[in-house]
Amino acid sequence: MIDYKSERVMYYKVLVGLLLLTAVTFGLPYIFEAGADLPAQMFIAVIKAWLILMFYMHLKGEKLISVMGIFSLMIVLVFFIIVLVVDVANFQFKDESHITAPQHTTGVTKHVTVPVKH
Amino acid sequence: MSKSYFDETHCAIGHPKSTFMQWMLTVDHKRIGLMYAAVMFTFFFIAVSTALLMRFELFAPGQQFIDGDTFNQAFTLHGVIMIFLFIVPGIPAVFGNIVMPLMIGAKDVSFPRLNWFTFWLYIFGSAIAIASLFTDAGFADTGWTFYAPYSLNTGTNVIFTLVAAFVLGMASILTGLNFLVTIHRLRAPGMTFFKMPLFVWGIYATAWIQLLATPVVGITLILAIMEKYFGIGIFDPSKGGDPVLFEHLFWIYSHPAVYLMILPAFGIMSEIIPVFSRREIFGYRTIALSSASIAGIGYLVWGHHLYTSGMADIAKTVFSLLTFFVAIPTGIKFYDWIATMYKGKIVLSTPMLWAMGTIITFAIGGLTGVTIAMIGVDIHLQDTYYTVAHFHYAMLGGVVFLFFAGMHYWFPLVTGKMYDEPKAKIAFYMQFVGFNLLWFPMFIAGFLGMPRRYFDYLPEFQIYHQFSFFGALLFVAGLVFMFWVFYKGWTKGEKVGPNPWHATTLEWHMPTSPPPLENHSKVPYVDFDPYEYHHGEPVVKFDYETMRRID
Amino acid sequence: MAHEYIPEISTDRDGTEHVVQGWQDDFYGGKLGFWLFMFTEVLMFGAMFLVLTYYKMLHPADFVAASASLNRFLGGTNTVILLVSALTMGLSLLKMRAGDVKGAKLMIWATIILALMFLSIKAVEWTAEYNHGVFLGLDALQSGNPHSKPFGEILFFGMYFTMTGIHGFHIIIGIGLMVWLLKRINAGKVSPEHHILHWNIALYWDIVHLIWVFVFPYFYMIGAASGGTGGH
Ligand code: HEM
Ligand SMILES: [Cu+2]
Repeated sequence: MIDYKSERVMYYKVLVGLLLLTAVTFGLPYIFEAGADLPAQMFIAVIKAWLILMFYMHLKGEKLISVMGIFSLMIVLVFFIIVLVVDVANFQFKDESHITAPQHTTGVTKHVTVPVKH
Repeated sequence: MSKSYFDETHCAIGHPKSTFMQWMLTVDHKRIGLMYAAVMFTFFFIAVSTALLMRFELFAPGQQFIDGDTFNQAFTLHGVIMIFLFIVPGIPAVFGNIVMPLMIGAKDVSFPRLNWFTFWLYIFGSAIAIASLFTDAGFADTGWTFYAPYSLNTGTNVIFTLVAAFVLGMASILTGLNFLVTIHRLRAPGMTFFKMPLFVWGIYATAWIQLLATPVVGITLILAIMEKYFGIGIFDPSKGGDPVLFEHLFWIYSHPAVYLMILPAFGIMSEIIPVFSRREIFGYRTIALSSASIAGIGYLVWGHHLYTSGMADIAKTVFSLLTFFVAIPTGIKFYDWIATMYKGKIVLSTPMLWAMGTIITFAIGGLTGVTIAMIGVDIHLQDTYYTVAHFHYAMLGGVVFLFFAGMHYWFPLVTGKMYDEPKAKIAFYMQFVGFNLLWFPMFIAGFLGMPRRYFDYLPEFQIYHQFSFFGALLFVAGLVFMFWVFYKGWTKGEKVGPNPWHATTLEWHMPTSPPPLENHSKVPYVDFDPYEYHHGEPVVKFDYETMRRID
Repeated sequence: MAHEYIPEISTDRDGTEHVVQGWQDDFYGGKLGFWLFMFTEVLMFGAMFLVLTYYKMLHPADFVAASASLNRFLGGTNTVILLVSALTMGLSLLKMRAGDVKGAKLMIWATIILALMFLSIKAVEWTAEYNHGVFLGLDALQSGNPHSKPFGEILFFGMYFTMTGIHGFHIIIGIGLMVWLLKRINAGKVSPEHHILHWNIALYWDIVHLIWVFVFPYFYMIGAASGGTGGH
């Protein structure tokens, strides 16, 4: 059995931290230009996530589960790197692509078979 | 007469009186595995019949029995059943369930009720897939890969198939989850990871793939469904979506999925080879770790399916390189198996025959895979019968053959009886010859340019298709014969004791044959390696009542 | 398992006894299983974020424009609501572990109410967007008609409705789980001694929150600096 009163403090501390970080989230757009704040936003999100994981989800001290979790995250990261950094960023026919330049076709050409490129 | 798991069971809800309901509600891992087998092989035979239908149609150029649209639906049905309903649940659902807990000395899997639920989820998903056969729009005609944008435009009932694949994916995830926790938590005292039988290693690596790759295809299917219902545009080029992205996401799962199929099959191989060579396995650790590294590298190679789809050149190169790497751990396994047999006392029973046959067929499947991992070669051979022959050699000549090997190997464990060995061997030879006759000519036809997914072809390819046709007949005849031998064995076979093969792993040390409801009478303490032989005899012996060593 | 479970003992060759871990009564196993399940959620949302990032790379300006039109006030309110609900859920587990079953139940009810508030606000938001003509299946998000938005905005809103929709679906499931948990507590199946179900549902609620921590800024905040309509 655990002691409610003493454990509770941690929950409130984390809550305050999360609220503050949320406030920062709303402050960031005043610092960055439109569209440029995503990395900063994601950084804040990662800190929030870390707080939640460690304290609300009791990941602290769970070695096996942490290792498994890091493994899962690495896999996602690898997907990002391969698809976005290795493939999309180096695609050599960008200029001929039809999925970036909006074509304002009118009428019923709903499923035109445009050449499919990144 | 002591009771076996056929006589009594635990149920998910209550304790129904009728035997039928006891089977439907059972949480016993052995019964669940058997039920998977029954359902999966029913579907397998449906898919085999569809394949025969295609082979009939391909006997001569032009249209004979079915038109092009029906042919498209036929290969989709064949592919969807073979992949999602048969081989993906495959060996884990059957032998992972039946044998894995026995091998680690557990009483059941970690979450028996979840296991029961998963089985019914699998049934539910299969039912959805089959249901679309009877809707007006008819079964999907996209191929089992559902490539956008065609899958978004076709009038056939793709949505049912997508939903089915999603539900089946959930079932697969839950199976993997259950096994991971089981292997981490329920190993008998003393059994460290490196004392586990290699089949358990195969299941362990597979379970990680089930757990961490399947969600990706799950969400991809959801996105495709959203696309079809609401036109969210994600894969539709007319709204700026990128179909190549669909292919990326699809193969992020579906390539690891081929390792999910083969790793437990390799596990079966690693069980059979030492037992029938009466020798300790050569390079235990390398086999175990190669399973893990195949699973790991397997995540990074999906792009070899996209060489002709429109990827960056650098990405193609990277994927090609990484794909070659997978061949290394696979090759290590092959050397280890062969080294195990070297100077062994080889017993050519049916399971061993199947295993050795697979060494040949899978080597062909694997090496042809390396050829099409090369970008230049693949540009030519992509979407030809060369590729189709490659993956049939790998899946049918690899996974399914080893599945059959396992069925022969564990038949006495599951039923307590023995099948007719000479007849089983005849069935093997029929299938082995039939299979090679069926698929080898297709390498040549494909190499010469016979495209995949066509119901018609130029006359010059006829000779190959005709060889293939007769191979298919021989193969299917052998298949039916094999199941007949099993049936006879189960009903009339001779009773055998708990360990007819002189095997060493824990599943062969049961107090009764077939095993009782809660497995070993006592949990053994494991202070030995899984395959200890001395002068061709198992080293470790147990008193089956107390499960203490008596050697 | 109504009867008390007694773990088996296995004896090695020296006669030393080892306690066998059974599948019954395996708290750590239950926890591990649920974490594994949560990793699948990470992979699922990870794949969706991959899609989103890809299209953001292709259409940065459209994404900012579309994001600017979301209602940041309602989105922010929902963020705070979820944040507080994570606290109440955590406290309920704490109370359960401390033996205060009644207090635990109260906190679960509080969480359910917060979850319902989240959903109501979501409904208000979506209704407003529908009235602006921006919703799944409406003309603005289809190609080839006079109302069509540019590619990037179609894709942004496609993912926005899909991802927040799937997240909302998780909230609904969460409410169902909490109601079930209350029933199990009332039936005495979940108690301070056997609280694995409570533990795991608390974890579930945290992962739902965790996902929102990333979803919210990605959709609502990238266009904030450009002003935009903010949903009005
Ligand atoms: C009984 C022996 C089998 C025969 C005669 C057979 C025959 C065929 C034929 C004729 C095709 C169509 C090729 C095309 O037109 O492109 C095909 C496709 C396929 N088969 Fe088999 N097959 C057999 C067993 C299997 C097994 C055991 C599996 C997997 C476990 C399998 C998986 C597939 C897949 C995935 C496709 C591709 C479907 C598609 O294009 O979407 N087949 N098979
Ligand atoms: Cu592949």
